[in-house]
Amino acid sequence: MPTAEKEPITIALAGNANVGKSVIFNYFTGLHQHIGNWPGKTVEKAEGTLHFKGRTIDVLDLPGIYSLSAFSIEERISREYIAIEKPDVVINIVDASALERNLFFTLQLLELETPMIVALNQVDVAEGKGITIHVPELQKFLDIPVISTIATRGTGLDKLLNKAVKVAKSKKLARPARYGREIEEKIRRVTKLVEKIPIKYPPRWVAIKLLEGDEEIRKIVGRIDPKLVSSAERHARDLERIHGEPCSIIITAERYNVANKIARKSQRITPPRGPSLTERLDAVTTHPIMGYPILIGVMLLVLFTVFTVGGYLSGFFEDVMEPIQGAFGGGAGELIGGGLLGGLIAGVAIVLPFILPFYLILTFLEDSGYLPRAAFMTDSLMHHMGIHGKAFIPFILGYGCNVPACLGCRVMETERERTIAAFVVTLVPCAAVTVVVLGLVGAFVGIHWALALYLLNLVIIFILGRVAFKVLPGESMGLIMEMPPYRKPHARSVLKETWMRVKDFVYIAFPLIIIGSVVLTGLKVGGLLEPIGNALSPITVGWLGLPAITGVMLIFGILRKELTLVMLATLMGTANFATVLTPTQMIVFAIVVMYYIPCIATIAALVKELRWKKAAYITVFEIAFALLLGGIAFRLLTLA
Amino acid sequence: MITESVEEYLEAIYRLRERGEAATTTSVAKELRVAPASVTEMLKKLANQGYLKYAPYRGVTLIPKGEKIGKKILRKHRIMEKFLSTLGLPKSRIHKDACELEHHIPDDLERAIHQKVEGEKPLPSGAPSNVVPLTSLLDRQKGVISFIGGGRGASQRLADLGLTPHTEITVVKSALFHGPLMISVRGTTLAIGRGVAARVFVRVK
Repeated sequence: MPTAEKEPITIALAGNANVGKSVIFNYFTGLHQHIGNWPGKTVEKAEGTLHFKGRTIDVLDLPGIYSLSAFSIEERISREYIAIEKPDVVINIVDASALERNLFFTLQLLELETPMIVALNQVDVAEGKGITIHVPELQKFLDIPVISTIATRGTGLDKLLNKAVKVAKSKKLARPARYGREIEEKIRRVTKLVEKIPIKYPPRWVAIKLLEGDEEIRKIVGRIDPKLVSSAERHARDLERIHGEPCSIIITAERYNVANKIARKSQRITPPRGPSLTERLDAVTTHPIMGYPILIGVMLLVLFTVFTVGGYLSGFFEDVMEPIQGAFGGGAGELIGGGLLGGLIAGVAIVLPFILPFYLILTFLEDSGYLPRAAFMTDSLMHHMGIHGKAFIPFILGYGCNVPACLGCRVMETERERTIAAFVVTLVPCAAVTVVVLGLVGAFVGIHWALALYLLNLVIIFILGRVAFKVLPGESMGLIMEMPPYRKPHARSVLKETWMRVKDFVYIAFPLIIIGSVVLTGLKVGGLLEPIGNALSPITVGWLGLPAITGVMLIFGILRKELTLVMLATLMGTANFATVLTPTQMIVFAIVVMYYIPCIATIAALVKELRWKKAAYITVFEIAFALLLGGIAFRLLTLA
Repeated sequence: MITESVEEYLEAIYRLRERGEAATTTSVAKELRVAPASVTEMLKKLANQGYLKYAPYRGVTLIPKGEKIGKKILRKHRIMEKFLSTLGLPKSRIHKDACELEHHIPDDLERAIHQKVEGEKPLPSGAPSNVVPLTSLLDRQKGVISFIGGGRGASQRLADLGLTPHTEITVVKSALFHGPLMISVRGTTLAIGRGVAARVFVRVK
């Protein structure tokens, strides 16, 4: 039926993590995509558009999840989107090499009664594991179209898109699968009740969620008809009495039963001869002894690469941009040259060169499957800091630069775990802090004092991490993660992903860095530095026992922590700090610099990952903590 | 005659050992929610009666006589918990009641209840029930999930990843320093922290 104006279509991609969802997303949308956040949430939202046969198609990549049980924000967002916003078609991407687990999620999507199609992806990986899947059989069981694909090679994706558009146009809703008799009976009864009330969700789905005791749905239904909630509860109790398990577990187990049945009937498994590549790699990389040197090696390689490449790029950009900055003189000129351009230079020459290689390597490691192995090896160590294995990589990266480290904390599942991890990471002394500690304390007081400061820092991280773990509200799940098979990273996806992440970071961080720089330069041009330094002297001189001039340096350090040392040299007129500061003052100064504030770029990263409120809490806490610790150190050291 | 309090202590120490934690005065006191001072007293007494070896500040180790009792009581406790939960009692009561009942259930009644709740063929007479936490499995050992204890969030997350009752799981390997366990379930590999794994109870195959 040809029409002149073709209606735009919305496609949502849904599936488990590690099934090749982003590869398909990239294939469909190319560079016409943008990553933002879901309104009011810290969850990433990736959207893109494509034009297909004279039609505009919006593609939305939902977060990779294993269930729709609403225990995580990602799950809540996904099901709200599918049930309420109603995309024209959902493409459920299924990993052919782990069919049963993936079908469990498919069954939950079917419950949402939306137009749907399955992309049976990674059939090549499945074949490697000796699994062949009979597509017509699978299609028969699910009663929706199934297209087999190999996304990394682009195989089957055009066919998939074609079929998806067809399903979207037909508006044919998927039908939920049937469960066991006992459960079906209960679902039927509750569904009957739900059908009588006005609600935007499919009644059967609401009934299942009420039986599962889903908090969100109970609240929504409770506002309309509280009696319905309690009668669903009674039905749930009945089931619990029979099975001796919570009802949500009973239904989960039942879905898995059905998934298992479908998987068994539609796949044939011939166990491959000899261990797979993943098994052989795992034998080494998670080996109780060999695994650790490998881990250390990988980490050193990451740090080394990020810092050599970063250092090189940084120097290059600085050389290019310095002369431009020098061209501006005078009051207003300095505001532009020193403030605006200075901020831009700080962003381009200091932050970007390190972010770029970091993201590239992180994405590469993520794609290869090594990250979960690293988390596995270090979980027990990280537990002592109130976080778990997944935070290991961000933690180590913190020693290089806190910015990518904070951004890396998104791998933590719950908001609470993400917050603790980001907090711990900002306490790690980055390379700029190292410059100050080594250049001041190490060079003029003694290297053992510098090392002592690092040791103290580790102790403090362990203590504060644990305290945060104890006082922060919310649930900590502990480590529960999938160990996806190792695979060769897909170059195009890695590059694309890196590009999107860098772009995203620049949008958030650069305005902050530039505004901060302009404000500070404005203070300098306006001659306000001295008054501010004096205003701060009760703290700097009175409490910390430092010269009044350090107040100004600490303020500039917000921009870049190594600036504190550079300014110390310029303002004091000497690089021989021993002539202007006592050893005690040096140690106190280094301690304050170590903790007092995440630099402005790190604050930007915190804002991005945790939003303003938590970023502000962390910042204020660290300022107070640094001053407290500095003051105590001053008193202890002068006592001795 | 063994007193209930002796049984409670041996059960607690056995439970700690199963979790891979050292049984010190502090940890035992925490487990039983009593004052450390009274624990020290009792541990000395138990050592004198030949249930365990006691070294001040280092903690205790069970010797066979004590181990047998601790294991038996803990097993009875778990079976009673499972049994009570099938009656639809609130969670808060289940643990408390099981703590009471574990001391009064004769062995043959325990076996009968075990058969009832696990729905399996009668066990050979005298054979111990073999429901243990996942953490006590060796590498490459298989088990069938009996039940998952603990918080709702974690148990639902585990169920979502395929760890539902009656599912077979294999421990692939466990990391050093009480690190996580790598397990294989439903054709996928997962890593779960030791704290989480200690709440997954399996029947050993």
